[in-house]
Formats: sequence, structure tokens, C-alpha cells
Amino acid sequence: MGLGLLKRQVDTGGVTSGRISRSVDVAAQEETWVGMLMVAPAVIITAALVIYPLAKGFQASLGSADASIGGQPRLVGLGNYGDVLRSSTARDAIVHTVIYVALAVTLELTLGLIVAVALHRAFRGRGIVLAILLLPWALPSVVSGVLWRRVFDPDSGLLNSALQQLHLVSHPHVWMASRGWALVFVALVHVWGVLPLVSLILIAGLQSIPEEVYSASAVDGATPLRQFRHITLPLLRPSIAVALTIGTVWAIKIFDEIYVLNGTALNTRSILMEVYNTTFINADFAHGTALALLLTAVTALLAAVYAVAFGRSPT
Amino acid sequence: MIRFPTAQLLRIVVIAAILLWSLAPIGLGVLTSLSTQTDAQAIPARWLPPHATLDSYRSLLGGTGDYRAGGTVSESGAFTHALWNSASITMLSTLAILCVAISAGYAFARLHFPGRGALFWAIVTTTVVPVFTVVLALFGLLADAHLIDRKLGLVLVFVSTTTPLAMWLVHNHVKQLPTEPEEAALLDGCTSWQAFWHVALPQMRSGIAALSAIVVLLVWGEFLIPLLLTSTNASKPVTVLIPEYIGKYTTNYPLLAAAGMLAMLPPTVVALVLNRHIRGMLSGSS
Repeated sequence: MGLGLLKRQVDTGGVTSGRISRSVDVAAQEETWVGMLMVAPAVIITAALVIYPLAKGFQASLGSADASIGGQPRLVGLGNYGDVLRSSTARDAIVHTVIYVALAVTLELTLGLIVAVALHRAFRGRGIVLAILLLPWALPSVVSGVLWRRVFDPDSGLLNSALQQLHLVSHPHVWMASRGWALVFVALVHVWGVLPLVSLILIAGLQSIPEEVYSASAVDGATPLRQFRHITLPLLRPSIAVALTIGTVWAIKIFDEIYVLNGTALNTRSILMEVYNTTFINADFAHGTALALLLTAVTALLAAVYAVAFGRSPT
Repeated sequence: MIRFPTAQLLRIVVIAAILLWSLAPIGLGVLTSLSTQTDAQAIPARWLPPHATLDSYRSLLGGTGDYRAGGTVSESGAFTHALWNSASITMLSTLAILCVAISAGYAFARLHFPGRGALFWAIVTTTVVPVFTVVLALFGLLADAHLIDRKLGLVLVFVSTTTPLAMWLVHNHVKQLPTEPEEAALLDGCTSWQAFWHVALPQMRSGIAALSAIVVLLVWGEFLIPLLLTSTNASKPVTVLIPEYIGKYTTNYPLLAAAGMLAMLPPTVVALVLNRHIRGMLSGSS
């Protein structure tokens, strides 16, 4: 507190209180202006490049499909949404996406908890282990797709080779052509990239639980398993909510890994891939946008449900 | 305490599993990228390349112009140009996102002005919108502005789709910082802007380092947006070029793996150098 404060005290010291409140007013007014100017770029960008296009997209989704190829747009209302939900490829894509999300979230939370419990306390070399843990998250998803594609390749894939060398299978499997295995492996590759983030969130959550809670309950004779069930899990709720939200939001828009592992093949197609196919391969903007907006609505709804269920603000 | 050694042993097993799980695919990628095409296609697989070679890297970076194997053709200079595209798009986008997000995130966390809460939530809520939905809707606007297949168009889209998340991270970071330094500056007669620029900003250094790293990783790794918005090598980033090396019938895995290794190098370096900051910000976001 240097000269400035002194100066202000001298300024206002001998004068009536009206003067003081005016200088406070001036400061508040200045704060209002600075605040509004500082958020202006973000507000304008979000309004012009996110919210306005979304509104236009919604409008397009209510028009007839031939509008995008130069036809006269006709208002068909929610008809496109009905079409999309009746289409068998879209329905398959929805089923696949539900399976991806369920598999991914379950694996991420289970493995994430195990990783977090193993890593949250200090030990020698913990920094290096955490740095390595973070690596898969840093990789572009296209690259992780490429790495895993080598594993699952039917001809020269490493999974087939290993299984054959161990005499577990007699002939090579075309993993990405079978529906069950393909869905599981795609989910696994997705989990590989997201697990680091989920683990870090859970580690931070574990670190925020005071050590005394555990020592007190140990005195009372609680076993580690009971401690985990009755102390760790309840106190970890907020972190689990965040991990669950992030896991769901990321898995529901899965695309890159599938594209690299199996292209746009029907047996692994996700909702977003169906949108991509409808819009850019079949040039059907209206139906593509309708499906994309349905996906957006479901994502927002799920985030809100988690937020209410766990009593926290959505991420 | 009989359970102690068991717990200790379990933890060592889990840590070993984590290291294997994280590093094995990358290690396989390195080995594959050093193999010859013949060894990579051998059945049963040759896990260690018997004839290690840098040919794949050479043909990607040098561009032999006629690299033919498994139906893959690596056009001379295409890959290096894609690397340059990725780098320039990432740098420009990150710079713009940082400016917009830091200024807005700070103001939402610290300053009082009308509409603050509503505006903040309106922007943060857009983070749940899958970016693809936005891009789909933006497509027409970009086409009208002749920004399809232009790097500038990509930068614009990255800024609009990444700013909400970045702003939210800055907001959370600023909320964790003590308010006293800025209050003292205001008492000293600083304006709110001066308090931000001279007092708060220097305190946010670690957060800004983490944020830059996270934004760089997000933008560099993005695939779908550039897949839709680029069509020629003039603007294609590496993430879009790499899947084109996947052949329809056979795939030149050494070439593909080498491309993957080169594309993961910059984000890996960023993640390793700044990993302490990144971990701080990601775990702080809960």
C-alpha cells in the first residue's frame, strides 16, 4: 500500500461523505465497463459462431431434405426427426453409441478408481509414473487409432499373432468385422485415450480426503474394504460426478477412433458417423442436422441429470 | 499388520500394469515404424524388426515421390506440408483462444457487471454441444465466406469451439487464486484493468502454461473438424492426412506408424515438459 492509498485518503479525508460514495461509484462504473469489454470477445464469438449457427441448423432441420441440393425449402416440421429415428442405420448407430458409452464409462470409472487408489499417495518415482500415465491422453486420437489398428489387423495384426502363437485360436479372426468384438475393441481404444484424464480427476478427489478420517476409522477396526465403501466412495462423489460427465460427453461423440480402426463400416458406426455419412456422403443436410441436434439434446440432458443427481454444476 | 505387504505388492502390480498399458502401444508403434514392409506383414508377427530401417521416415520427410507399397502413395512433400499446416493452425488458434479465454475467464471470476451469471452459464453450457454439431451448422456460413479449405477458416472454428472450455478452465483457476493482491492494487488507485494486467496476470503464469498446453493438444489432435473443412493438401493437417495412408486391401504399417510417431512428437513433448502444470489444472477442474 504505497502512495496511492495515501493520496486517496488525503483526497477524501476532509470532504463530505458524498464525495466518497461518488469515487466508489466511479470505481464500480469502471469495473462494469472493464468487465463487459473483457468478456465481449468471448460472448460475441460464442453467439455468432456457436449459438447462431445452432439456431440456423435447427431451422434447417425443420426443412425438407431437397433444400440442401438446391430445391425449394419446404417446412416439414419435426418430420426429419421422425425419419431419422425410423431409419435402420441410424437406429443401429444409436444402439452402438449406447454400447460404447456404457462400456467406456464403466471401464473408465473402474480402472480409474484402481489407478487413483494406487497412485494418490506419495512414493518414489510418482512424478514419472504420472507423466507416463498422461501420455495416451496427449496423443492425437488418430494416432492412437493407428497404433491399435496394427494390433487388430486381421492379416498381420499382433493380436491374432499372439493368440495363434499361444494356440488360443486356430485361424486369424477378422476382429473389426464381427459386431461384438469390434464394439468392445473400439470402446477399449477410446478408453485408452480418456482414462488418464478420469484417473487424474479421481486422484485429485482422493487427495482432498483428509488422512485423519482413515486413521480414525482404522482405530475403530474398519477393514480397508469397508473404508473404501463407507469413506472413500461417498467422499469421492463430486469427483466421480465430474469423471462420469466427462466420460459420457466424450464417449457419446466418439468418431476418430472408429474412423481409423474400421472406417464408416455399418457394424461399428456411431451416431456422429451416421451424421457424417448422412450429411457429407449423402449430402442430406436436413436429416444429418436433425440427428446431430438430437445427439446434442441427449448429451445436454445427460449432463443435467448427472448434475442434479450429484448435486453439482454441469461441466 | 499382515495385510501391509499384500497391499504393497498389489500397488506395485497396478503401477507396472499402468506403465505397460500406457507405453506398450507407443512402443509397438516405434518398432513398427522401424520395420520393413515385409517384416511388418510377416505371419506370425516379428515383434522386433530384424532389419531395422528408417526408410519410412525418410520417405515421409524426404518424399521419394513414388513410394509404392500396399497401394499407398506418399506424395513428395505432402507430409511435411501437413506438419507445417498443423503447426501453424495450432499456434494461431492457441494464441487467439488464450487471449479471448483468459480475458473473459478472469472477468467472469473477479469483476462485477450486469448479466455476468447468465452470460457465463450460456457460454459454459455450449461445452456439452458436440463440436461437430456446431461445425455442421457453421458449414454454410464458412462456405459463404469462402473459408472452406482455408487455414483461416479452421482457426476460426477452433477458436469458437474451444474458447468456452478454455474460458471455464481459466475461470476455475482464477477462483482458486487469492484476491488480496488485486484488492491492494485497487486500494492503491489502480483501475480494474491495471489490477488484472499488472497484478493478476503474472500470478496466473502456471495456469496459463497449463492452458496453452491443453489447447495445443486439443487443436493439434482434432480430426473431425479439419476432415470436414479441408479438401486439399494446402490446408490439411497431419491428423487428416494420416488415415489416407490406410490402404483398402493392405496397409503399409511401417509408413503409417512412422507418420503416427511424427504426428505425436509435438504433443508428447508439450505433455512431458508441462505435465506438472497440466495435471494441476486438469485435477483442479473438479
